[in-house]
Amino acid sequence: MSVAAVLAFLQDSAIAHSISKSNHLVGAGLQVLHVIGFITLLASLVLVGLRLLGLALKNQPVAEIVKDANRLLYVGLSLVTTSGLLMFVASARMYYYKTAFELKMLLFVVAVVLQFALLRRLVERTESAPPALVRTVLGISLAVWFGIGFTGRMIGFT
Amino acid sequence: MSILATLLPLAEQLEQTALGTALAESTYAFPIIEGLHLIGLSVALGLLFITDLRLAGVILKRVPASVVLQQLLPWVLGGFVVILVTGGLLFVAEASSMLSNPAFAFKLVFIAIAAINAAYFEFVIARRPGALESSPQLPANVRMAGVTSLVMWGLVVICGRLIPYLPAWT
Repeated sequence: MSVAAVLAFLQDSAIAHSISKSNHLVGAGLQVLHVIGFITLLASLVLVGLRLLGLALKNQPVAEIVKDANRLLYVGLSLVTTSGLLMFVASARMYYYKTAFELKMLLFVVAVVLQFALLRRLVERTESAPPALVRTVLGISLAVWFGIGFTGRMIGFT
Repeated sequence: MSILATLLPLAEQLEQTALGTALAESTYAFPIIEGLHLIGLSVALGLLFITDLRLAGVILKRVPASVVLQQLLPWVLGGFVVILVTGGLLFVAEASSMLSNPAFAFKLVFIAIAAINAAYFEFVIARRPGALESSPQLPANVRMAGVTSLVMWGLVVICGRLIPYLPAWT
């Protein structure tokens, strides 16, 4: 199947129609969930970031902070992916050809790989991991997540 | 509405200032400021939600509430400066349509309630001896202040995102 056929299939599916052909406030509701999920996700990452960089909660054990931050991370990730997928399916052809959307998805893949392949492991062994490496990965990761927010906000304007 | 009738000409003047027209006419300024507004609020409100959840006794239960407040609030306030400046610029660019937007009006109401709650917490509740002592479960009025803050700022975010979706007051 070509890309165009896949996009058409998604956008003409029952689930897409249940969103796109309903009241416009259904789409607005998904946007609301998406931004709340993003705030939750960023809250978790910024909290861990401040702790690892020694900018806040310095006297608290890293493991303690990370455990609770991870709960927020998963709540946030579930919210953004669920609401994001539903928004995409409902207007697949519109999103797919937007540069801001492409860039956002690219950054999202980078952020998720950084988070689960690298950052999570470094955080688990903060005592042995070189602090400069932890700081660099953390800085890049936060910058990428900010980039996701930024490019996401651009989608509606391009 | 008579208040709206008095404020609308002022809003139109604001839009026609050099700053207002520059923001409205630039292709990039508006989306860039929107982007910065989102990033500022995800840092400030994100950390504020963490503080609220600590007060409510949901997360970071083994970290003393006083430590969470003292260590995270400077970052919350720093983020608030970014939100306020970017929010102010967005308002200048679209002042008259904001004034007639119900979601924007509700957003301001919820910000005011959240501010009153924060002031009451800071100057009354938190000043009582033992209010923030390092225990997992805090006094009921402290937990209530946390929940109120969480709900009010949540409503502020919801109203903010709904601004482009709701029709103007008639």
